[in-house]
Amino acid sequence: MTTAHFLTTAWQWNPRVIAASITTLVLYGIWQRGRFSGRAGWLLAGVLLFYLTLASPIDTLADGYLFSAHMLQHLLLLLLVPALMLLGLPATPVAGSQSVSQRPGAKGRPRRALAGWWLGMGGMWLWHAPALCDAAVANVWVHRLQYVSLLGMGFAFWRPIVGPRRGQRLPPLAGIIYLFSACLGCTVLGIIITFAPVEICSIYRHPVDRLGILPLLQNQWGLTPAYDQQLGGLLMWVPACLVYFTGILALFARWHREADPPAPVRDSPLTTAPGEKTHAW
Amino acid sequence: MSATAQAVSREESPLPGGAGSGLYGWVATVDHKRIGILYLLTTLVFFVLGGVEALLMRIQLVRPNNTFLSPDAFGQMFTMHGTTMIFLVVMPVLIGLANYLVPLMIGARDMAFPRLNALSFWLLPCGGFLLHYSLLAGGAPAVGWFSYAPLSETPYASTSGVDYWTLSLLILGIGSVAASINLIATILTRRAPGLTMQRLPLFVWMVFVNSFLVILALPALNSAIVMLFIDRHLGTHFFAPAQGGSAVLWQHFFWAFGHPEVYIMALPAFGIISEVVPVFARRPIFGYEFVAASTVAIALLSFGVWAHHMFAVGLGHPMDLFFSATSMLIAVPTGVKVFAWSATLWGGAIRLTTAMLFAVAFLIQFTIGGLSGITFAVVPIDWQVTGTYYLVAHFHYVLFGGTFFAVFAGIYYWFPKITGRLLSERLGKVNFWMALIGFNTAFFVQHFLGLMGMARRVYTYPDLPGWGLLNLISTVGAFLLGAAVLVLLWNIVVSLRHGRLAGDNPWQAWTLEWATTSPPPAQNFDRVPPIRSRRPLWDLAHPENPDPPVGGRAARDGFVVEKNRVGMVSFLITESAFFLMLILAYLYYNSHGMSGPAPESLLNAQRTGLYTLCLLASSLTVWLAEQQLRAGKTVAFRWLLGLTMGLGGVFLFGQGREYFRIFHAGVLVNSNLFATTFFTLTGFHGLHVGVGLVALLILMGLAGAGDFKSGRIEAVRSIGLYWHFVDAVWLVVFSVIYLKLLL
Repeated sequence: MTTAHFLTTAWQWNPRVIAASITTLVLYGIWQRGRFSGRAGWLLAGVLLFYLTLASPIDTLADGYLFSAHMLQHLLLLLLVPALMLLGLPATPVAGSQSVSQRPGAKGRPRRALAGWWLGMGGMWLWHAPALCDAAVANVWVHRLQYVSLLGMGFAFWRPIVGPRRGQRLPPLAGIIYLFSACLGCTVLGIIITFAPVEICSIYRHPVDRLGILPLLQNQWGLTPAYDQQLGGLLMWVPACLVYFTGILALFARWHREADPPAPVRDSPLTTAPGEKTHAW
Repeated sequence: MSATAQAVSREESPLPGGAGSGLYGWVATVDHKRIGILYLLTTLVFFVLGGVEALLMRIQLVRPNNTFLSPDAFGQMFTMHGTTMIFLVVMPVLIGLANYLVPLMIGARDMAFPRLNALSFWLLPCGGFLLHYSLLAGGAPAVGWFSYAPLSETPYASTSGVDYWTLSLLILGIGSVAASINLIATILTRRAPGLTMQRLPLFVWMVFVNSFLVILALPALNSAIVMLFIDRHLGTHFFAPAQGGSAVLWQHFFWAFGHPEVYIMALPAFGIISEVVPVFARRPIFGYEFVAASTVAIALLSFGVWAHHMFAVGLGHPMDLFFSATSMLIAVPTGVKVFAWSATLWGGAIRLTTAMLFAVAFLIQFTIGGLSGITFAVVPIDWQVTGTYYLVAHFHYVLFGGTFFAVFAGIYYWFPKITGRLLSERLGKVNFWMALIGFNTAFFVQHFLGLMGMARRVYTYPDLPGWGLLNLISTVGAFLLGAAVLVLLWNIVVSLRHGRLAGDNPWQAWTLEWATTSPPPAQNFDRVPPIRSRRPLWDLAHPENPDPPVGGRAARDGFVVEKNRVGMVSFLITESAFFLMLILAYLYYNSHGMSGPAPESLLNAQRTGLYTLCLLASSLTVWLAEQQLRAGKTVAFRWLLGLTMGLGGVFLFGQGREYFRIFHAGVLVNSNLFATTFFTLTGFHGLHVGVGLVALLILMGLAGAGDFKSGRIEAVRSIGLYWHFVDAVWLVVFSVIYLKLLL
């Protein structure tokens, strides 16, 4: 089997995934009464990514072949899909110009944020305990539970950052700490997986070659099991952190935008020192 | 200074007989300005020392097969030169400038913790002295500033040089961390009304971000150094591959510190440039938000690129791939900064003062160094040139052509504020051109030498065509650079006596430090001008045309926090990083089987579990104690505090029993890597419990003396926080070591 052949044939027509994607889009359309703003693009991207994660060759590879593909699925479901979908929800403005601390819901916010943080981190660490990781590949119900829980925990994690209601969101700088600490947690796990001499998911150590693609993966792509696990760890370590990192920069931009001067700072000509020529602008 | 201000300064002066009582006044000072000057003077001494070491090396390399220095002496020289320049010059000079300027720039009277500030400074000469004492005690370390294991282990480095190196760096590291905690607390809690975080001068902003880099990165070095020290003195084998240790782990730990360190040495320099360039281009900085945000981006990314120092180790293809990508990525925010500075210059009414000349040269040279840096992100090129003078050229362009030129710019810019007199511009121009020509002559040719294959860290080189000539050119340049530094020293000496009087604001600058007299009075400000934008002094001078206010008219942002709390939280962040490294080391060494003592046969998980419950209960009691104190019930507070100490004591007793049983079974810290990592991790935790007990004891004494009657209970809250932290660390340690024995 060649790479091209594999990439064209390994798509899965999983009715549940298709149904979930279409339902989401339809419900969103009904909710918005057919009037779409630019935000709908985010939602569409989220749904598309969700579909790609679970129906494209990534899923075929994650299903018993490659730990790194499995990790990629994890990261997409936990980090990207929920964030994109939340960004797609229309913002509900808060009436009046109350100060941050007086906004409704401000009181329980730190506690909810803390819960979201633990859920997000928990999702990441929990499903990489070797026993659970193997169970998820071996048992289809554990597998489904894993997907659903990852998505759910992803939503809980991102809500304090990109939730549609401003009252739910953390203030930008608190959000930066939130994301930075999450990035650290995910880095540590990534480092452990990358350097662990034992396999995290033993099933990927000796894949059962159902589709006859093992020679393609190991010989042509060069993805031996050891290499594969290193790649998986690195995916969690580096690109996952870049997602948080993007979030941090976005929050930083939001922080400055909220406080922006109404007009850009003028080039201010000159305090003139004695004997210095003035410059006209 | 008005009469009242003088009275105030005398009253608040911590010194008997006022701030100005001679040498004793300088030794005992806690004034941030004096400490800042002490920092600058001390680093100047070490700068000259490090420079002499460099010149000795250049003399040795002036012609092929030279015998001026022996191989061992050459090794000592490049080790001392690197260590001195990084830990005793660049870091402290930047910290010293921050120390002097940050309180002035934010309109504060002093740093948040003046005594801690004095401690951080005095650790610097202490560490510097220890490092140089090695020269008398059997030879300086000769293993490079990176001390690669196993070369730094006893069998290969048998003199005590490396021991002095470890102790000195540990002390300097503690000093830098303390200074950074102080800077964080100062910037968060001591800003003048109106100076919100978004109106901070960029130098202050970059020092702020940089301080987080320091407290997160230094613990990686400190933990590695502690392990190396244990290796050398207790006969363990953390980094000795022959006995199961890992030399590569040393490199990981070292560069996990080492790469952020590169930015620790660069970010404050960026800050200096971001102050100097706008003032002498007579325009506000272009894209303040982008410069501020790119600083954060650099700081974050700097933790994710260290492995590019290790491409030649053979980390495997996936690692090389990812770290090559992140290393290229970090060029983006750095590029953003260069564009912002260039755009500020563009169309500005540029005044080419000496400070500005150094800043412009910084821009060009730092860009060259940055570009050659990107070539190292390409793995095959890195393999080819990482061991050559091409790398030496690269990092000197970043650190000398970049950071040092920025520091020179800063010295010419702020000298009038510090001393009240301007440095001579005539000597300054001489200084600048000599430094520019000398630096580029010395280091530009090294690019070619490196590409031709000349190996660094080697005491001499064969007589190949062109090598002798290029090295001669480089040596001539180095001496010219040395002469430029002498001109700077001469300029300082002359200008201190005869320099033109500066007045408050000789450059018509816009930030707060120029609002007070030069030199500033002991209390810094009699009155801080109103702050509504990023350029308060511009607004003051141009009431008809002020900058639009940033962030509305709010006088405060959400960042008014209590300084002790900030200090303690920052301290705990750096402690967490330290324990994280120890825990990762434990996991790493114990993830595969080894011969000798094993946890299953040695450890008693049930009993330790019970002692763990005691420790957790003590977290509850210390919290209750705080609640009681807040309610004003001092007696209940002292009882609960006593109970906490009792529970902590029981835990330590339990640890002692565990240790005793293990010793009884004939297992010592050097028995195998399990024993080594077990004792290191639990030992450091036990030490922290002990420190916590002492702190609680002090609280008890303070409570007995009636110290908390006034309702000022910050100390109790901070120590409580520390105690919770110690308990939380134990929970992690327990799960890592014991949990699998229980399951």
